[in-house]
Amino acid sequence: MDRTPPTRRAVLGGIAGLGTASLAGCSGLFERQSVGNPPVVEDRPNAVYYPSHIEGMGMIGTEQAGDRTIGLMYSYAHRFWTMNVGGTTERVSPSGDAHLMVSVWDGESGRVLPIRSGLSVTIEQDGEEVDSRTPWTMLSQNMGFHYGDNVGLDGDGTYTVTVETGGLSIDRLGEFTDRFGDPVTAEFEWEFSQSARGEIMFRQLDNAGETGAVSPMSDMMMPLSIAPAEGDMPGRVLATGESGDATFVATAGEREGSQYLAISPRTPHNRYVLPQMALSATVTRGDETVFDGPLSPAIGPRRGYHYGTTIDSNVESGDDLTITVDSPPQISRHEGYETAFLSMPDLSLTVE
Amino acid sequence: MPPTERGVSRREFVKAAVAIGGSAALSACLDRESPDLPTGEPASVPARQHVWNEALPRDDHGNVRNARHHVVVLLEYAGTGTPSATDRETVTDAFESLERAYPWSNEGLLFTVGYSPAYFARYDDDLAGVDLPSPEALAPFEDPTLDEPDAIVHLASDYGSVALAAEEALLGERTTLNGVDVTGLDAVFDRADRRTGFVGAGLPADNQDVEGIPDDDPVDEDAPLYMGFKSGFTKNQATEDAVTIGDGPFAGGTTQHLSKIQLHLDQWYDQDSRSQRVAKMFCPAHAAEDRVEGVGENLGDGSQLGECPAHVDEDARTNGMVGHSQKSARARDENDDPLILRRDFDSTDGGEAGLHFLSIQASIADFVDTRDAMNGTDVSEDSSVGTRLNNGILQYMTVQRRGNYLVPPRAMRALPRPNP
Repeated sequence: MDRTPPTRRAVLGGIAGLGTASLAGCSGLFERQSVGNPPVVEDRPNAVYYPSHIEGMGMIGTEQAGDRTIGLMYSYAHRFWTMNVGGTTERVSPSGDAHLMVSVWDGESGRVLPIRSGLSVTIEQDGEEVDSRTPWTMLSQNMGFHYGDNVGLDGDGTYTVTVETGGLSIDRLGEFTDRFGDPVTAEFEWEFSQSARGEIMFRQLDNAGETGAVSPMSDMMMPLSIAPAEGDMPGRVLATGESGDATFVATAGEREGSQYLAISPRTPHNRYVLPQMALSATVTRGDETVFDGPLSPAIGPRRGYHYGTTIDSNVESGDDLTITVDSPPQISRHEGYETAFLSMPDLSLTVE
Repeated sequence: MPPTERGVSRREFVKAAVAIGGSAALSACLDRESPDLPTGEPASVPARQHVWNEALPRDDHGNVRNARHHVVVLLEYAGTGTPSATDRETVTDAFESLERAYPWSNEGLLFTVGYSPAYFARYDDDLAGVDLPSPEALAPFEDPTLDEPDAIVHLASDYGSVALAAEEALLGERTTLNGVDVTGLDAVFDRADRRTGFVGAGLPADNQDVEGIPDDDPVDEDAPLYMGFKSGFTKNQATEDAVTIGDGPFAGGTTQHLSKIQLHLDQWYDQDSRSQRVAKMFCPAHAAEDRVEGVGENLGDGSQLGECPAHVDEDARTNGMVGHSQKSARARDENDDPLILRRDFDSTDGGEAGLHFLSIQASIADFVDTRDAMNGTDVSEDSSVGTRLNNGILQYMTVQRRGNYLVPPRAMRALPRPNP
């Protein structure tokens, strides 16, 4: 929510003199950033763009919980965008002491398990609850899909963070079929200090506002929600296309003896999966409608997160495939993603 | 004057006293709030315990306004085996004491007495004519503690002091109430737990200094509940007749569900915009058309769900968001009427913002159906709506406890047998 954004002058004052090179590891300066993120760039493209700055993150820990691995991370409290009615985004101003992030993945396949579980987080100190909430599902350029929110703490100290995952309720394929359905819980000890937080990397970008994306982080020892490359998707690639700056890969494969149409939308540049969309597809052959209907969100060890449906007849070369985005990704967005994936026209493709 | 009075409004003070309970709180309460009430007349109390509406005021739109202060007492039967005739006499006298002490109205005292599946389990006979299941979790993402006391008493009054004094009288901690000699039920029941709360314009705003609500006092002064909107519109409520058990030995009774819900309103007030709040509470179309003014006083006697798309699934697919009222309203009977009658209230129990969702319905299955509709699991299935995110108000609440009860007709409210 855009409550009272700091004035441009205040923000510039807060960051004056901070050259990009001078930032790393300089904790005293970082204290200011929570009240003075660099301003959002003007004239943002309706596409993925380089944000005003990038932040690293601190790993609080990873825990094995039943059949899932849960990672808990934090960074500076920062602005993000939630989805509003009518396919617009709503800016949430930074507040609190930290941006807390949770990622849940399958240790065997390394697949990050997005959405549909109602994951919740409780923060306690000395047995007293400090905060509890259902964090937003989020997409960031350096991390991809995760759960996150800004949280308020009671200063430096030791906190216990309990993550309850809920059970995954989306369709699961292959070896995932009977897994992840039950809720699991993990508990983390978090030694929080403002000075340690201040050690987290924070860097302004010279190319802020240009189309493109910062690279996925590579040093956190955890998998990211990266979609399989086109050639690694099981089955046959029917077509690829773009809408709203997202790339769509449509494949036809086999699922339990039936034809399975899988559509995998992903971000440009970093190839992150795009959860929480509603997609429909139509396949026509001349005057004949081969398939017309909605797709369901699903996840499998090889396809990753995608939208799929079984279809009665084979999709053939030359068929027309129309993909309709009934709603764009309802996931909240970190800076650099909030202007992309909003207006997403139909894709009219011809099957290869 | 008690020292706590300085700087504390009367309403805040009464609410604090209701939450603290006990004779100290009560005497402080009585010092400040001394309603001049007539005594009551048991003969004028309805035969159906849950028939309160005629005794409650209505707002300008005809919506029933519930009493402002509530105490719920959970009781354990103190004896062994099955209750005796003496026990029944004690309990009968205790409840009649309350009726003699206060008029049956929002200014006096309204109350119901209910019994749990655990209570009836001490008898060999099955409960006749009523399906009263043990409580259970009602969503895949909740893990509530299941309340299974023997009995439950819901006390309600516009005066916190009246609700508190009635509780004390039941527990045998006072012998007069409003100048009337009374007796308690402490020889038969021990108190296992209590829940307190309030509902009505001004009370949530006056009591928002609790965990779960941002520090900048975001709750509207006119809001009857913490989330900032009116509820309990006539068109969204079942009638008392509709929630009455029609057949069998308990005809004239009803069933009661009580859940304890923790509210997490930091995101609701700090991060969601007004438009997002309206969309999630009512429906996206209400937000897009800006149809809700303030706390929703302009909505009249219903939440105008006719103006929301008829098919919730459509909103789920195209807007990626569905409203709480929009979803819940799908639970209707064959006459298109709601299945449950809400008598819920907010709470500061434990220093946390909470909601005691108390509802009555002809059967617990009606409550389960309504909760299923509110979960919207079907709605989120093929849509972009999350399990809890953008799925009504599920994101902002955690169900901590659930309990199911039978509220028998008044004539059978003292330790009923399962097959009378």
